[in-house]
Amino acid sequence: MTEVLSPETVEDAVALLAEHEEAMPLSGGATLIAMRNASLVEPTHLVSLDRIAALRGITRTEEGGFRIGAMTRHCETAACADLTGSFYVLRRAAGMIANRVVRNMGTMGGSVANADPAADYLPALACCDAVLDIAGPEGRRQLSILDYVEDWYETALEEGEIITAITLPAPVEASSTYRKIARVSGDYATASCAMSLDADGQGLRVAIGACGPGPLRDRDGEAALRGKLDDPAAVAEFAGRLVALADPVDDVRGSAEYRLRLIPRLVTSVLSELTQQKEMA
Amino acid sequence: MKIEGDFEVEAPRGEVWEKIRDPQVMGASIPGCDTVEQVDETSYRAQVAVKVGPIKARFNLLVEVLEEQPEHTILSRTSGEEGTRASVVNSDNVVRLSDTDSGGTRVDYVANVSVTGRLGKFGLGIFRKKADQLAGQFVVNFREKLGVTA
Amino acid sequence: MMAKKVLHSLTLNGEQVDVATPSGATLLETLREDLRVLSSKRGCNQGVCGACTLLVDGKPVRACLTLTARCEGHEIQTVDGMGEDHVMATLQRHMVESGGVQCGFCTGGVLISARELLAEDPMPSREAVKTALSGNVCRCTGYRTIVDAVVGAAEELAQ
Repeated sequence: MTEVLSPETVEDAVALLAEHEEAMPLSGGATLIAMRNASLVEPTHLVSLDRIAALRGITRTEEGGFRIGAMTRHCETAACADLTGSFYVLRRAAGMIANRVVRNMGTMGGSVANADPAADYLPALACCDAVLDIAGPEGRRQLSILDYVEDWYETALEEGEIITAITLPAPVEASSTYRKIARVSGDYATASCAMSLDADGQGLRVAIGACGPGPLRDRDGEAALRGKLDDPAAVAEFAGRLVALADPVDDVRGSAEYRLRLIPRLVTSVLSELTQQKEMA
Repeated sequence: MKIEGDFEVEAPRGEVWEKIRDPQVMGASIPGCDTVEQVDETSYRAQVAVKVGPIKARFNLLVEVLEEQPEHTILSRTSGEEGTRASVVNSDNVVRLSDTDSGGTRVDYVANVSVTGRLGKFGLGIFRKKADQLAGQFVVNFREKLGVTA
Repeated sequence: MMAKKVLHSLTLNGEQVDVATPSGATLLETLREDLRVLSSKRGCNQGVCGACTLLVDGKPVRACLTLTARCEGHEIQTVDGMGEDHVMATLQRHMVESGGVQCGFCTGGVLISARELLAEDPMPSREAVKTALSGNVCRCTGYRTIVDAVVGAAEELAQ
């Protein structure tokens, strides 16, 4: 039997998680309660984060970026008209998660904490160079999303720590989007691509999802590609570097081989979509 | 699900054979294995804890050595269940040792594993990745027990 | 083992109800086992099939993934409490007329998802209806008659 605890501050939540050995933090419940219903997890206590006001809302930071509270639902992110330019990718990804009903429940903090390799936020956040705000028994810290996933379902989140917010840095002048290949609407990604193209047409940020334990991002490759986006050979070489970084699984959504083939196609086709958008603007 | 791989250790085959048949050495090398108890000449019991993200499982395993061809091949069978829960794991294993040119030993292993019950819900793709990860850790631990680093 | 029960005060279809339910119970369990409100169906218990969909504070959620302990102070509406709602009544009639109801197990969840769609997009395309209902599994109809019903209701409501 699970006891539900409902603290009203981050400090109390962290203290409760430390106090009960088999306690788990509960955000939206879309994944964790499903796992509990299937007996995959059996927490003695669920520390519900839904009464903590400090975990809610999307606000501007002084640097011009955004602070997205960990308990922000997917439907709120998907409807946030302020997420434009280089941050549009996140809004777009939020709107493609599962279906309307699940988007009314699931939260960004919960999704990031669960770190499903095929989920949509991690590549979008990697493309935004997001930073995670984390609170735990040792205090508060910040961590780049690029250093977050360590292995399959293993993250840098320590026992007893919770994500309190996701911070997006100052925006760059860019347009961005998210594309996912999925078997049916609402499924997890077979492979996905988050991309942001600088307004000057020179620079590119790309993160690939569902092709390894965490999102694939190659910043050295992006730097080498700078100014060569109209050179198909250079783009192909860049996509090849992402393929080399990939370590996909074989599963019901597609074979590892198929996923590796999707990566270069996603890169070229999403890049051409963003380039066309820029030309039309 | 078939899990296979190989690794090399810079130790003579006779020594590797000794260690690989020693339940205490194997128990200490298998990630998540905390107790090993000899049942009889050819079988032992072990408890192994496995963790995938938030999912924690603890298996009570019975390992039976089916056949030994000294200093090069061991056939074994592993079976076990997860306490009172309905997860069952079965595995048929083959381990082969051979000499390397540099005087070390090459270990090839193949395991045919089946997992049913609550953990069967998890995709096989992730199981395979986790198995590779555990195998990597095993090799590091096993080399340490042999007193070699590579 | 007898589960420890906890007392909760809920607002269900506009009425205050007090219920003793096992600690950690989902809203679906509390409704069906303790309150005997049976319009939310237990299909997969995994949030996938959509048969348990109901409204909390006017938003569709999965009852099987919602903890009852979190519902205090929130408004719960199940499909059987929505007969007075004009959009819902129109959708219901079209579902019956177009043959969108066969065994009926998915119907409540389908209606709630469809009503949410029409609130946001009063004249949805067939494609938009399919996407909006992608979280509601029906094993009888093949969906075509359900899509017919939603599109038909939208047309009637627009007049």
